[in-house]
Amino acid sequence: MEKPFILHMLTTAKNLSPFDVNMAMDAGWIQAVPYINVEPSEVRGLVQDAIFSRSPKGLKRTAIFIGGRETKQAMDMLKLAKNSMFPPFEVSVFADPSGAFTTAAGMVAAVEKELADKFGTTLEGKNILALGGTGPVGQAAAVIAAQAGAHVRIVGRQLDKAQRTAELCSEEFGDGKIAITAGADADKAEYMQTADIVFATGAAGIELLGADLIAAAPQLKVVADVNAVPPAGIAGVDAFDNGKPLAGSTSGAVAIGALAIGNIKYQAQSRLLKRMLECDKPLFLHFEHAFEVAREFIKSSN
Amino acid sequence: MSKRSILHMFDPMPNNSPFDINMALDAGFDVLMPYSNVKLENIQNLTQDAIFSRSPSGIKKTGIFIGGRDIGLAIDMLQATQPAMVPPFEISVFADPSGAYTTAAALVACVEKALRDVHGKALSDCKALVFGGTGPVGIATGIIASLQGADTVLVDHLSAETANDAAKQYNRRFNANMSGAVARTDADKIALLADADIVFCTAKAGIRVLSAAVLAQTRQLKVAGDVNAVPPAGIEGISANDMAIPMLHAAQSPKAVGVGALAVGNVKYQLQHELLKSMLESDKPVVIDFREAFGKARGLV
Repeated sequence: MEKPFILHMLTTAKNLSPFDVNMAMDAGWIQAVPYINVEPSEVRGLVQDAIFSRSPKGLKRTAIFIGGRETKQAMDMLKLAKNSMFPPFEVSVFADPSGAFTTAAGMVAAVEKELADKFGTTLEGKNILALGGTGPVGQAAAVIAAQAGAHVRIVGRQLDKAQRTAELCSEEFGDGKIAITAGADADKAEYMQTADIVFATGAAGIELLGADLIAAAPQLKVVADVNAVPPAGIAGVDAFDNGKPLAGSTSGAVAIGALAIGNIKYQAQSRLLKRMLECDKPLFLHFEHAFEVAREFIKSSN
Repeated sequence: MSKRSILHMFDPMPNNSPFDINMALDAGFDVLMPYSNVKLENIQNLTQDAIFSRSPSGIKKTGIFIGGRDIGLAIDMLQATQPAMVPPFEISVFADPSGAYTTAAALVACVEKALRDVHGKALSDCKALVFGGTGPVGIATGIIASLQGADTVLVDHLSAETANDAAKQYNRRFNANMSGAVARTDADKIALLADADIVFCTAKAGIRVLSAAVLAQTRQLKVAGDVNAVPPAGIEGISANDMAIPMLHAAQSPKAVGVGALAVGNVKYQLQHELLKSMLESDKPVVIDFREAFGKARGLV
């Protein structure tokens, strides 16, 4: 009998997200086992227990999912997991804290599609404002977009926090190969003069970009809002928007809402979970890979 | 591949109950996922995470079970899941903390049947005492009996205040009409039993609540039901398998009959099984607490 597929699901939180559980089961994992309240220092022990109890053949049917709430912590745990393994005792690991990596990938891929469809251009060289960008989705989206060649500015209410986040994104998540800048929310009006793209990834219920700034933006092309609960993070964006002209934009900008992003996010998460089932060599998956499969999905649905 | 059924089991305790796990797997759920130390304020997020990650066809194969030890909290949690649903993203939810809801529903249904079969009476004709009335099974039993019209008294073994508080609190919540009483001694019990038609015994396992001497003083006892399966029985003379068997110790109460713990337990087991299965088989999402459980239990006895 073939060994059943086992996904060990680690989280620093006190419970898994039922979202991730449903996704794992529907991707074809047979058994999902929760490990809750996991401390980063416990990752090595858990990973080694997972790899040393199955033969290399069985390990191809074993993987680890890393949830939790924080980007840096999840990335650290992913690295720790990778460094705890020894060939041929290796399994795939996928980090997606709070679904932030796949959500960010969905958002950036949707924006890229609108740029191509409506404006015949790419992310390369575009100015992006990541509003409410200090959270997990904002961080991952900033890194993904910057790696695709955009100039990204993370904007927060506290400038020093935005600066620390920008530095973390550039150095830690971007390996120092990207340069994300920071800005204060109070200076938004000025930044909007040169912004091509706006990401809104703040907390639900807070408007981050008002109608007046949208009307005054001379080169705004695409706005994306991950918030599904009214009021929208960007004035005039509806959760169902998927490339619809943005009300009040004088530059012909289009909008992408939470459900359009959610659809790509779902596809990206599902594809990465399936990849771990099918791969021959262990995979270590995070936001970059999420963006890869999100792009793949958009290409295949065109 | 068709989607597998998944039951998300939310529990306020540090661990889920193995009882619930066994029952859920036996009812046919493919995948069980435990969530422990869940607080009321987590329910909205957990519920939305459970519904938004499956297609409408997958949604039919997804359910939520709410466990724990606190029947009020379980109802609060059950209610908190409802505004979180967004049609067509709706799933079935079943609350049964410590099995209290199904145990209470089965107990009342068995007693009701014996009352009708042996005495030709309904619950609404009767006065009922619930011993162990301030525990989870006792309170749920009291509410069901009261909603059926029985004059219901929750009896605590230590404190009248505890019993009165529980009666008041749950009357308010469920529109019931219970009162509270204390019975510390046999004399207290005899006094309470003087005008009682029904006794529900839901005290802790292994505690003899009503002895032969107390039963001998009853005058109008009609049916007594006991959920305690661990010897000694909660009511002396009732054997675990009794279903409407004459109570020899209650010689002055004409035709008094007893219902034992295993007779109730069999119905409870079937009931929980059927309710879990109904979550899988129903075309529309079902929401199940002790009231729905009692309706189904009546059909089973």
